[in-house]
Amino acid sequence: MKTAAYRANVRKLILLAALAALAAAAYLLVEVDPRYAAFVMRLRIPKLIVMLIAAFAIGGASIVFQSVINNTIVTPCLLGMNSLYTLIHTAVVFAAGSGSVLAVNGNISFAVDLVIMGVTATLIYSYLFRKTNHNVLYVLLIGTVLTSFFTSIQSTLTRVMDPNEYDTLLSTLVASFSNVNAEIILFAIVLLAVLVFLLRRDLALLNVLTLGKAQAINLGVDYDKSIRRLLLGVTLAIAVATAVVGPISFMGLIVANLARQLLKTYRHSQLMLGSIFFGMIVLVGGQLIVEHVYSYAIPINVFITVGGGIYFLYLLLTKRKV
Amino acid sequence: MIKRSITTVLLAVALLILSVWSLFVGVIDLHLSDLLSGDLAQLEVFIISRLPRLLALLCTGVGMSVAGLIMQQLCMNKFVSPTTGATISSAQLGILLALLFLPGSTLWGRALFAFAAAILGTWVFVWFIQRIQFKDVVMVPLVGIMFGNVIGGITSYLAYQYDMTQALSTWLVGHFSLVVRGRFELVYLTVPLVLLAFLFANHFNIVGMGRDFSKNLGVSYNLVLFTGLSIAAMITASVVVVVGSISYIGLIVPNVVAMFKGDRIRGTLADTALFGAIFVLACDMLARVVIAPYELPIELVVGIIGSLLFIGLLLYRLRHGRKSVRLGPAHSGGCASSIAQPEKEGSI
Amino acid sequence: MKVTELTKQYDGKTVLNGVSFEIPKGKVISLIGPNGAGKSTVMGIISRLVARDAGLVDFAGKDISKWKSQELSKRLAILTQSNQIQMKLTVRELVAFGRFPYSGGRITPEDQQKIDEAIAYMELEAFEDRFIDELSGGQRQRAMIAMVIAQDTEFILLDEPTNNLDIYHASNMMKIVRRLCDELGKTVILVLHEINYAAFYSDYICAFADGKIVKFGTVKEVMTRQTLSEIYKVDFEILEVAGKPLSIYY
Repeated sequence: MKTAAYRANVRKLILLAALAALAAAAYLLVEVDPRYAAFVMRLRIPKLIVMLIAAFAIGGASIVFQSVINNTIVTPCLLGMNSLYTLIHTAVVFAAGSGSVLAVNGNISFAVDLVIMGVTATLIYSYLFRKTNHNVLYVLLIGTVLTSFFTSIQSTLTRVMDPNEYDTLLSTLVASFSNVNAEIILFAIVLLAVLVFLLRRDLALLNVLTLGKAQAINLGVDYDKSIRRLLLGVTLAIAVATAVVGPISFMGLIVANLARQLLKTYRHSQLMLGSIFFGMIVLVGGQLIVEHVYSYAIPINVFITVGGGIYFLYLLLTKRKV
Repeated sequence: MIKRSITTVLLAVALLILSVWSLFVGVIDLHLSDLLSGDLAQLEVFIISRLPRLLALLCTGVGMSVAGLIMQQLCMNKFVSPTTGATISSAQLGILLALLFLPGSTLWGRALFAFAAAILGTWVFVWFIQRIQFKDVVMVPLVGIMFGNVIGGITSYLAYQYDMTQALSTWLVGHFSLVVRGRFELVYLTVPLVLLAFLFANHFNIVGMGRDFSKNLGVSYNLVLFTGLSIAAMITASVVVVVGSISYIGLIVPNVVAMFKGDRIRGTLADTALFGAIFVLACDMLARVVIAPYELPIELVVGIIGSLLFIGLLLYRLRHGRKSVRLGPAHSGGCASSIAQPEKEGSI
Repeated sequence: MKVTELTKQYDGKTVLNGVSFEIPKGKVISLIGPNGAGKSTVMGIISRLVARDAGLVDFAGKDISKWKSQELSKRLAILTQSNQIQMKLTVRELVAFGRFPYSGGRITPEDQQKIDEAIAYMELEAFEDRFIDELSGGQRQRAMIAMVIAQDTEFILLDEPTNNLDIYHASNMMKIVRRLCDELGKTVILVLHEINYAAFYSDYICAFADGKIVKFGTVKEVMTRQTLSEIYKVDFEILEVAGKPLSIYY
C-alpha cells in the first residue's frame, strides 16, 4: 500500500539523508589546508565513522525502545548503560590506577566495557523479564533503581580518589569521538550488524507490536518474546555505542521524537531511518560546531544534554498523555 | 485504640534501643560508667561527635521519610519521592550555584540556595506531572528521573566547567563522618518542618484525593499542595546540605509502612517517621562496622540495602496487585476506604 | 469450541471456578453477569490473552495452548476494550493489519481485496484515509470491527463492544454483530453489560455469577425472572416485545 503519505515520507527521508551527507562532507572538508589534506583526513575520517556508528545505534535503538515501552517520552538512557560505563571506568582507575593497561589501552578498555555491559545487561534484564511476567515498565523502573545503585557506588569511589587520578578519569567519562582506532570501529560495526541480523524478525513485528499487547497476540505474534528480545537488543546496541563514544544521554530522545514529528507514521522502517539520519545530522553537525566555533571548549554531550533537556520539557508541555 | 498504636509503640522502643546502642559504637570505646563518672575525654567525644551524629541521623531518617510520604500523598503516586521527583538534584544544583557565585558563603548561605532551588525544582516537576495524563503510574517516576537527569546534567556541566566536580561530590554522596558540633545544626530545621507536616497531615490527605475532592471539602487545593511540597523540599534540602544526598529513604520507608498500615497519612506519619529513623540508624551502624576502623559513606549502604528492598517491594506489588498487607486493623476512615478500591475483574 | 473446568485466581481470589460450556457454531453467544463474575476472564482465556490456572479449552480438536499463535489468529479474532492506539494510523492501514497473520507485513493482491471488502462491509469508504485518533468512538469501533473482518476468522470474540457508545451507535453495533453471524456465517461470542441487547440480538446467553455459570441456554431459557434475579440480585419483570423476551429492572 504505497499511499501518498508513504511517498511523501520517502521524499523527506531522502532529504534527511542528503542533509546528513552534507553535514558529513562539511565535517571532512571545512578548514582543510590542502597541503595537509591527507593528514587531516586520517584524523577526521575515523571520527566521522565513529559518529555515524553512534548515530546508527542510538537513533535506531531509541525508536525501538520507545515502541517497546509504548511511550514516546522515554529514552534508552533509562536502561542504565551510561552509569554502568561510568562505574566501570571509575572502578578501573580506582583499583588499577589511571596508568594501568586497562585504562590506557583503548582496545582492552573497549573489550572490558563491552563484556561487562553486555553480560550485566543480558543477565539482569532477562532475569527481570522472568520475574515481572514481562511487565516492561516494571523492568524499566527496576533498571533505574540499579542505575542509581551504580551511581552511588561510583560517587563513593570518586570521593575517596586521588584528585589527580580523578582529573584523568573525568576526561574519559566525557563522550568523545577521538581515540577510537580502526579495530574498534570494525568490531563495533560487525557487532551491530550481527545484532540487527539476529533481531530481523522481531524488528519486522514492530508495527504490530505497537497496536498493543492484546491486538498483537490476536494477530498471532508472540508478544512477550519479541518485546524481551527487542529490549535486550536495544540495551546491547546502546552498550556498543556507549563503549565506543562514552555516555551520551538524551540524544535518543531528541532524534527519535524529531523523526516521529517529521514523519508522522507508524511504519518503523521509516521511523528508524529518520531517527538514524537525524542522529547523524545532530552528532556530526554538533561536532562541527564544537570543533570550529567553540574550538573544543564545550564537549558535545553538554549541547546534547542541554538541548535534549529543553526538548524533553517541551515534549512534556505539548503532550497531554504519556 | 491501644491496638492501633501498638506498632507505633514498638517502633519507638526499637528506635530508643538502637539510638542508645549507636551512641556507643565507634572508633573510641565509650563506656557508660566512665561517662557517668565524669571522664572528660570520653565526655568530649560523646558531646562533640557521638551525640551530634545521632541527632543528625535521627533528623535525616525522620525528615527524608516524612518528605517522601508527603510527596507521595500529594501526588497520589507511590513512586514519587525526593529522589524521583527532582528535589535532591535541584538542591544539589542550588549548592553548586552557591559555591560558584558566593564562594565565601557559609553553610547557611548555601542552605538558602539549596532551599530555593529544591522548592522551585519540586514545584516545576509537580506542575508538569499534574498537567499530563499518565498511562501508567510507573511513568511518573520515570519522567521524574529524566527530569532529575536534566537538572543533574546542568549541574555536572557547570561543575565540569568550573573544576568543581570533586568538591561537589561531597554533596552527592551522603555521609555522616563530618557531622560534628558546629557543622550540622542546620539539620535541626527538619524538626519544626516535620511538626508542621504533622499539623497539616489531614489537609495533605484531602488534597491527595484530588482537586475536586478538596474543593468540595473547602480546602484550598493549590495552597496546601504548594505548602506541602515546599515543606518536603525544605526538609530534603537541609539534609542534603548537611549530610549530602541520601536516596531511597523517602521512597522505601513510606511504602514499607503503607504495606502494613494502609494509606491514610494521619495514621502512618508517626510510624513512617520512626521507621525512617530506625532504617537510617541501622544503615549507619552497618556503615561503621563493616570496614572498621574506617567507615563507608551511608549513601552506599542505604543505596545497596535500599535498592534491594525497593526491587523486592516492586516484585511483591506486581505479584499481589495493589493490595497491601495489613497486620494491624485496617483503617476504616472515609479516605482510606476510597483509596483502597477493590481490584477490578482482571480485564483482558 | 469446548471449554472444560476453567479455573483462574487473581491475588488468591477465585474469579473462575470450574467453568464448562460448549460453543455452538455459527451463532451469536452473549456472556452476561454482574461485574467481577468472570465473563471477561473467560473471554481472555479462550482467546489465549489470559493464562488459566486449570481446565481445558478445546478448539477444533486441539487444546488452545497447542495451537501455533499465528495459525490460531487465522481462525479466531478477539477485540478487547482497551484499544488506545497511539500511532498515527489511518483506517485503511488499521484494517490492513488484519491480514498480518496471512502475509506478514507485505500486502498481497488477495489481501488488498479482503481489505477492500471489509472496509466496504463496514461502510468506511468515506473515512478510509482518516487517522484513527481523529474518529468518533462509534467510527473507531467500526474500524476495529473492519480489521477483525479482514482477519477472516470463523470465530470472533468481542469484549463489551457497546461500551462507551451511545444508544444509536450501540444498537448499530449489535446489528453489525447479527449480520456478521447471519450474512458471513461467523460464530460471535461477546461480553455484554446490557441484558436486553443480549436478549434481542443473540441466539444463546451464558449467564455468570461469582465465577460460575448459572445458566447457559437459548435466550428464552435464560431470560426468566428467576434466573436473572438470581444472577443480579435485583427484581426483574420479563416482557415480550416483537417475539423476544425483554427485561425490566429497577
